[in-house]
Amino acid sequence: MHTSSKLKKEFFKKWMQGLQICCSSKKQMNIMERKKKIKLSSDIAMASAKMTPTSWSNALISNAKKCEQDTVLVDKLIGPQSQLKLQKTSNKMISFHNRVQCKKVLKRSCNYAAKKTKRMGDSRKNLATIIAKRLVKKRTKVLKRLVPGGESLDEFSLIKEALDYILSLKVQVDVMRSVVNATEVVLNGDNLMKSV
Amino acid sequence: MSSRRSRQSSNGASRITDDQIIQLLSKLQQLVPEIRNRRSNKASASKVLQETCNYVRSLHREVDDLSDRLSHLLSTIDAESPEASIIQSLIM
Repeated sequence: MHTSSKLKKEFFKKWMQGLQICCSSKKQMNIMERKKKIKLSSDIAMASAKMTPTSWSNALISNAKKCEQDTVLVDKLIGPQSQLKLQKTSNKMISFHNRVQCKKVLKRSCNYAAKKTKRMGDSRKNLATIIAKRLVKKRTKVLKRLVPGGESLDEFSLIKEALDYILSLKVQVDVMRSVVNATEVVLNGDNLMKSV
Repeated sequence: MSSRRSRQSSNGASRITDDQIIQLLSKLQQLVPEIRNRRSNKASASKVLQETCNYVRSLHREVDDLSDRLSHLLSTIDAESPEASIIQSLIM
């Protein structure tokens, strides 16, 4: 797909940039620390490589910025223009989230009485539907936790975000896999020559 | 998901129909490998959501594993070999 190869290139470029920034320090990092930095650069590179920022990419970047030691890396990767956009969208998300919560509370209190009488009537017929609805609700909750920034989204946007998020995750995994395999070949080939 | 619901989206657009949700779910189904093989009208909404969650979790795990492998590889670099210097100039 045309767009996915462009995305791959952009992600690869940003990820290498991130790795150079965080792994270039002279001090020795232990494996766990390096792994965290690698993963962080990868996630941020993925979020910032997108042409059009989405809810999950903004949420990912804002979450990373909350940690003090990572802010420098994040800022360098996403660039100055995106930083301003990020601020605006994150404020919008917060106010939208509050509005959604208020609406939900209002709806719940208004519909409670109506629901009670209705349930008595057709409980037998709609048992399967009720179970199905409950399952869907449960699964939607889980998905909300998995997709970054998904907590404040309604179901429709959540599914759209999940679609985009999965596509980006696939790109991320593909590029990372190629890089790791290539590194392995270069390093192990080197070891093989030494043993001969 | 089987009952018709009207909802205001963040842009103030009009109601979101069942069909739109079904379309989205079928697109999701295409992406997730577990349920891609079945015919689209057989997978229920909860099944699609469940497999989506599992798939996202497995992708997260893969990213984690790959970062781990790369970290191990980079830690074993012998600073003097020529191949290692290629990697070093690229990544470190």
